[in-house]
Amino acid sequence: MTADARPPSAAQTVGLGAVGLALFVGIWLALTLSGIVPRQFLPTPIDVLTRTFELLAHPFAGATLPVHVLSSFERYAYGFLLAAAIGVPLGLLMGRFSWLNDIVTPVFDGLRFIAPIAWVPFAALWFGTGIGGPIMIIFSGAFPPCLINAYRGARFVDRNYIEAAQMLGTRNMRTILEVLLPASFPSIIAGLRVGAGIGWQSLVGAELIVASAGVGYMMVQGQSNISTPTVVAGMIAIGIVGLLIDVLLRRLETHVRRRRGLA
Amino acid sequence: MRPSRRFFVGITTIAALFAVWAVLTMVTGTVSTGRFPSPLQFWESARQVLTVGYADATLFAHALHSLKLVVMGFLVAIAAGIPLGLLMGWSRRAEAFVNPVFLLIRPIPPLAWIPLAILWLGLGDAAKIMVIFFAAFVPSVINTFTGVRMIEPHIIEAARMLGTGRRRMVREVLVPAASPMIFTGLRLSLQASWTTLVAAELVGALAGLGRVLNVAQQDIYPAMVMVGMAAVGVLGWATTRLLAMIEARAMPWLPARA
Amino acid sequence: MSAIVFESVHRQFERDGKSFPALDNVTLTVADKEFVALVGPSGCGKTTCLRMAAGFEAPSSGRVLVGGVPVTGPGPDRAVVFQQFALFPWKSVEDNIAFGLRNRKVPADERRERIAGAIRLMGLEGYETAFPHQLSGGMQQRVAIARAYVLDPQALLMDEPFGALDAQTRVVMQEELVRLARVNPRTVLFITHAVEEAVYLADRVAIMTRRPGRIKEVIDVRSIRAAEAWDRHERVEDVMDLESFVHLRTHIWRSLREEKVGGER
Repeated sequence: MTADARPPSAAQTVGLGAVGLALFVGIWLALTLSGIVPRQFLPTPIDVLTRTFELLAHPFAGATLPVHVLSSFERYAYGFLLAAAIGVPLGLLMGRFSWLNDIVTPVFDGLRFIAPIAWVPFAALWFGTGIGGPIMIIFSGAFPPCLINAYRGARFVDRNYIEAAQMLGTRNMRTILEVLLPASFPSIIAGLRVGAGIGWQSLVGAELIVASAGVGYMMVQGQSNISTPTVVAGMIAIGIVGLLIDVLLRRLETHVRRRRGLA
Repeated sequence: MRPSRRFFVGITTIAALFAVWAVLTMVTGTVSTGRFPSPLQFWESARQVLTVGYADATLFAHALHSLKLVVMGFLVAIAAGIPLGLLMGWSRRAEAFVNPVFLLIRPIPPLAWIPLAILWLGLGDAAKIMVIFFAAFVPSVINTFTGVRMIEPHIIEAARMLGTGRRRMVREVLVPAASPMIFTGLRLSLQASWTTLVAAELVGALAGLGRVLNVAQQDIYPAMVMVGMAAVGVLGWATTRLLAMIEARAMPWLPARA
Repeated sequence: MSAIVFESVHRQFERDGKSFPALDNVTLTVADKEFVALVGPSGCGKTTCLRMAAGFEAPSSGRVLVGGVPVTGPGPDRAVVFQQFALFPWKSVEDNIAFGLRNRKVPADERRERIAGAIRLMGLEGYETAFPHQLSGGMQQRVAIARAYVLDPQALLMDEPFGALDAQTRVVMQEELVRLARVNPRTVLFITHAVEEAVYLADRVAIMTRRPGRIKEVIDVRSIRAAEAWDRHERVEDVMDLESFVHLRTHIWRSLREEKVGGER
């Protein structure tokens, strides 16, 4: 519910948005071009764009921007898939068998409040700073939402479905695969989406602290060389990849929800 | 009888895990204590950091430092985020105005602000507060916005037919009606604040729990890493509990939840 | 004097760039202290009429006047009772009833007195500090009616107020409303799709056509009620058994049914 008696027209929406955006860029430009803020600290938008294009072709901190992005994404994909592959089945089983839930929940609750990033020292110690350590960090960020949503999805499945399956003499395994899993699919997808977001940002954090490649590493190098445009270019790249991941999973989510008649 | 069984199973699990941990590290030596500390080492490190101190301060001082930064960043972020969310929720024009800029900033994970914050503000407290601000700001805006949009239209129409002015509309209708969602946003903001702070302190800090972790990592001192993680967990848990208590107090009209 | 006036009101709705007529030349007058019920097939625009009088919506052409003044927006001189109650769940019964009075800056002493009066009138004693979710549907609707009544509005606009209640509670609330109308008559525009309810409560019943809605017929119940002395009976079911009641009800049913058949053609 909003206060607007009539919603703004499409043209008004675009116009207002353009004014807001122009104001934002205008202030940015004014601050940098007038010299109030030294360009070393806050580059102009043009500096940032120039630097981004430069980085596309010329290596910095050992690789070009696309190569850094690719190596970040590779770690990310492994860590995220691992989290989903363990978290979703475990969550479903916990929703089905309450004894398992009783066992896992206290351990899970005990670890839940430790920020994923706090695992960095152990991750580095156990799995090194190459690919294993970062994968563990992504895993620790993406795992909880995968688990929780699969659990909730399975736990709150309409009892009628399960009873119908039982009445038909369905075994546990089939009940899980053919009733619980599809019934909790919308919730699982939502969990994957949240986990993907947290995982992506955990990866960035891990790369800032311990890594020798990846966008986060490139940004740290940019920071120590006081190359602010490089840092901002890295932020933009991270933002774009994060956005793409989110858009993709959101598409999938809407698709699933629509097929279920939920959206 | 279910809760008591659940409690029993929980205690047993924790005790069993603890026993396995002790046996593997101290009796059989299957797990090298150079990689995973034993309970005894954990205890000794905890005592050391509590009494003598580690990384230039006691655990209490480190924890207080981190807590102070989280609270400050969090409060500044929600003081800005909730009003913006209310405004964007209440007026589609305000939403249209702010949205493009917000959409531009939103996909950048808060942790990605850390290098920029260090460039701008150095390794001190100000840089931490800045990144916590970015971490806590976005969820508080989004959830407040959603909360306002989800308000039952009849509630607002009822307030309008009763001739409610703008200030009372915000204070007594919009805020309370949206407050369940606002609190969800605050919980997410608080979580993000802790994550971001720990990351920022790991990247570089002069004090705080992240610094304990960082120094312990460099000293290859796994037991102290574990103490640092435990402290992060306890503080995260305590602040979340506090927020939940405030939430319960703030909304007495909601039916008690099981 | 006429309290609520619809003057050749038209209303168009836009959807997908096309425009659909929702109301077609609605003209209706509710006199001061008169109780008019508006019945019609669903989707005929009766709720739109009420929302225009409340000021939540505006006519595409024509005028809506309350107390001789054209309606421009919602305000406490036209209190609305919603089907879904629309109580503020975070406020106690007392604070819900006080809400409109505080908007009018009624001094505290007078406010307390009026709230107490409204609570007594609606039989809400003992529930002053309860929150809405702790009350049954019927009790919640009593609070909503008290919240409207306490403002002493020029017009009471009731949008299927008993539609969300169970059948028994509904009967109790109907009797209550008739009692209120005797003790404390108000100008009421009452939307319902229950024909019995309309005949039982209203002085006049206005029947609307299917979309685009027009006023098809206005039936004067008051003269029949007086002539047949309905008020001697205290209970709804006794009134509803009277031949004159049955006759009126059937007449309105037939009139509505023609509309529904027409809609299917």
